[in-house]
Amino acid sequence: MAELILSPQDNPAQHPLPKLTGNRKFWVGCFQAMASDCELLIEGVDEAQALALLMLAAKETWRIEHKFSRYVLGNIIDRINTASGQPIEVDSETASLLNFSDQCYQLSDGLFDISSGALRKIWFFDGGDTVPDATQIKEVSQLVGWHKVDWQAPKLSMPRKMELDFGGIGKEYAVDRVVLTLNAEVDRLSKLNALSKSSFVVNFGGDLACSGPRLDGSPWTIGVENSERDQTSVATVSLSQGAVATSGDSRRYLLKGGVRYSHILNPLTGKSILDAPHAISVAAANCMQAGMLSTFAMLQGEQAEAFLEAQGVQYWIQR
Amino acid sequence: MQLMKRKVSKSTVRPIKKIAPALAAASCSLLSVASDTSLARGEAGTWDFEAASLFYVETDDRVSAVEPVFSATRNFEDGEVLNLKAAYDVLTGASPNGATPSATPQTFTTPSGNSTYTTDAGDAPIDDTFKDTRVALSASWLAPINRDWEYNAAFYGSKEYDYLSLGTSGGIKRYLNNKNTALNAGLSFSFDTVEPEGDIPSALVEMAHKGSGDDFNATRIDSSDSKTIIDALFGVTQVINRNTIMQFNYSLSVSDGYLSDPFKILSVIEDTAGANFGGNLQDDNGNDIYLYEARPDSRIKHSLYWQTKYALANGDVIDGSYRFMLDDWGINSHTYDFRYRWQLGSSYLEPHLRYYLQSEADFYKRYITETEYNSGRPTLTEATADYRLGDLDGITVGLKYGHKLNNGHEFNMRVEYYLQSNSGDNGVGLLKDQDLYPDTKALIFQVGYSF
Repeated sequence: MAELILSPQDNPAQHPLPKLTGNRKFWVGCFQAMASDCELLIEGVDEAQALALLMLAAKETWRIEHKFSRYVLGNIIDRINTASGQPIEVDSETASLLNFSDQCYQLSDGLFDISSGALRKIWFFDGGDTVPDATQIKEVSQLVGWHKVDWQAPKLSMPRKMELDFGGIGKEYAVDRVVLTLNAEVDRLSKLNALSKSSFVVNFGGDLACSGPRLDGSPWTIGVENSERDQTSVATVSLSQGAVATSGDSRRYLLKGGVRYSHILNPLTGKSILDAPHAISVAAANCMQAGMLSTFAMLQGEQAEAFLEAQGVQYWIQR
Repeated sequence: MQLMKRKVSKSTVRPIKKIAPALAAASCSLLSVASDTSLARGEAGTWDFEAASLFYVETDDRVSAVEPVFSATRNFEDGEVLNLKAAYDVLTGASPNGATPSATPQTFTTPSGNSTYTTDAGDAPIDDTFKDTRVALSASWLAPINRDWEYNAAFYGSKEYDYLSLGTSGGIKRYLNNKNTALNAGLSFSFDTVEPEGDIPSALVEMAHKGSGDDFNATRIDSSDSKTIIDALFGVTQVINRNTIMQFNYSLSVSDGYLSDPFKILSVIEDTAGANFGGNLQDDNGNDIYLYEARPDSRIKHSLYWQTKYALANGDVIDGSYRFMLDDWGINSHTYDFRYRWQLGSSYLEPHLRYYLQSEADFYKRYITETEYNSGRPTLTEATADYRLGDLDGITVGLKYGHKLNNGHEFNMRVEYYLQSNSGDNGVGLLKDQDLYPDTKALIFQVGYSF
């Protein structure tokens, strides 16, 4: 029963409490995490159940945020980044995320790299026009490169001053984890006969996953990406199963000399990807997979469409 | 918006790797790993430890105690919880023996009968031979039976030099309303044996004066005695809304056996006219007369408890409770307790205020009159001057500070000040000049670390 009341430990970043609105037919839960509006849409449950599911979702999301955010002192990411070359032993969840990141690095031929965060120290995508010069890029590139990291589970050692960042996968990971958590709770309630049939969508700022179609059999219809040219218009996707993730630069870019530098950086060159689409949404079985495919496609720049075609997945692209 | 929806055409040939299946496999493998909350306490398969030490000091050189406690909790996969706890107390100091202060010095025989101690004129008689150590061990087990039912069982034992307590308890909990309501019932049984040095004194018999020819052994009945205590508890815990949780308990406690304190005595006060009017009645040898106390051999207590916890939007928690206790000794008490947990990032401050009000037992007497003493054939069958059974009120003011470290461990410390005031019959004649109800003041300091 304690799960209905969030203890301070459940909310280490002291986000506002989750809010639930709606009625018997349809509940909308909202909370804040990972610099995003997190939303939970639920059908087929009563208010107490909706509230319990919302609290579980918030707790799990905040747990992941607190554990893997690079802004939390003392967490595993901070310990890795401040180890100064010393080996750090990690827990099994961190190990599996590192393994996944390693596979993504291999599959993308080095384009997806969780050690590329250092580039953000010279690239500022605040709508300004400062582009770093070659010397700066060369200097910072010394601190980038997953191949320089010695990762042999459960121990990781990394050269001094290099930094890891799960920012590129954290939100998608949280969406999938929340879906797993909520599915388990829905299963539990069903076994208790407290619930006949339910359906839900977890949507963290455009990265989303559902438990299945809506109760009337129709797909969920969800807005995924605001256009920077028209804040009110929202592209929508239909979803009956699995997940959709979106990568985009519509709100973060740099303009200089008529060139639009996307906030997607190529860790191999240290430079911004040119000719990348504004936004790419990809549908896949889970949000991690969808997120990686959309990120990889972004990294392909002008070849984004070709890349996505080759993957045999459903996608939406905005140029 | 230039939004294009494209469907897959598998025939498209491009010089690009097809990585989606490998990515699908990688993501499934990642999500099949149980999320690891190694930073969180209470996780299955781990031990949580808690170490604390409590220091209790009463002012005026009275009781002081040091109590280190170590607790280990193991959580199992299926929701079972095992808790093991060990505590060690060292008590030293002095405790009021029950006699009234007097205008002349008073000499008392120690409970062992081996020596005497003297209290100066005007001072509260306290037995300063008091020193004891206690070791307590307990084990408890809690486990779900199914989704709605849970049971618990516990064993407890403690040993001090002259006291042994053994106990066992069991309980059952039923969840209703999607776990918003919990009903619980519990039963506990304990068996205590007291074996004081110098044996058990006879009820309301005159204390033997050492060195005056009195036969100490004649005032003793047995080398040890025992009591049994059975407690039953019924409770309801209800989630009121997302911020509020409320609990109601009723408990019944039945004690049987030797319930007196073998170290407590009462003064006998002269009530006839004369120079010593209102002073201690003396025996033929010119010694003041004191009687060993006597309490009933059974006690039935009922108590009602209500607690509400309210979580504010900012994470602070208000915790208020009230307890009413009533027993067949004629005592009733009210306890009001209030805490506010003020969250300050990874630290918290928790001010605490407690007020306790108690009415005296029917057989509580600050002293026995000469008439009641009736030349050694008391007209009373029960009497105690133990200040803990008198009319009293106590206030506790405290502050707790806790800090959660980055590794998930918690350090906390607590300081509390307790002030107890007794009141009652102020005596007659010479006795009126004495302070029959000195305040009890205590300082409590605790440090703890959980990991």
